[in-house]
Amino acid sequence: MKWMQFFTPVRSINGQEAKELAAGKGADDVIFLDVRQPREYERSHIPGSKLIPIKELDERLDELDRDKPIVVY
Amino acid sequence: MLSGKGFTNVYNLSGGIKAWNNEIAVGPQDLGMELFSGNETAAETIVVGYGLEEGLREFYLSMTEKVAEEEAKKLFSKLADIEILHQDYLLALYKDVTGKSVSREEFVARTVQPAMEGGLTTDQYMGLYRPDLESVHDILSLAISIEAQALDLYQRAADRADDEGVRSVLQQIANEEKAHIARLANYIDSL
Repeated sequence: MKWMQFFTPVRSINGQEAKELAAGKGADDVIFLDVRQPREYERSHIPGSKLIPIKELDERLDELDRDKPIVVY
Repeated sequence: MLSGKGFTNVYNLSGGIKAWNNEIAVGPQDLGMELFSGNETAAETIVVGYGLEEGLREFYLSMTEKVAEEEAKKLFSKLADIEILHQDYLLALYKDVTGKSVSREEFVARTVQPAMEGGLTTDQYMGLYRPDLESVHDILSLAISIEAQALDLYQRAADRADDEGVRSVLQQIANEEKAHIARLANYIDSL
């Protein structure tokens, strides 16, 4: 439902907090989702990130595990 | 967008990639993927991984001859030895997957030509990070960068794998690379 987008909070975390979130876990236990363009991903990305450019995200949501924490950048 | 679509555990990385003050990977999504045809069995995937560890071990060994500082020589030698431990992990994983024990010699005979971990060549790593090869800190940073690139490659290959067994093996190797990065980072912090 569209209204949920406005009421479901998204927490912001900094780089250190993101690192701590993933520390000691398996490489895919926390998903780092890169929503930038491929050229930006190519220049540098967080190792193990999944690239889904923002304009494709809506159609590719089934590639993401809803049960895992997702850090978006 | 995600939060309204049933994703409840979503975080926004404030400041984006610039705020990620840690190791990074570079290159397009298909970088190094030629190492994995996509048709390998889980066992063959481990053999490819072994070749990558061997490529890195040979690189570290070659560096012991090239640097002048005794401390740098010792560190490259230690990094080469650590790669043997990584190879032991892959030998054990091979046994888990196939149920067969295989000696290091038999395994080496089956490996393809060693390639560098992460799908970049030695020259590419050097050009990218321009390390001072006599500096312990720079050597460790280079090693972390290589492991980060390797983690990235295994994760991308795992994402692409259709076969559950192959995906699981690639994921386990990616997890192992992640643990390597943490150990090297602790080492830097202890300097």
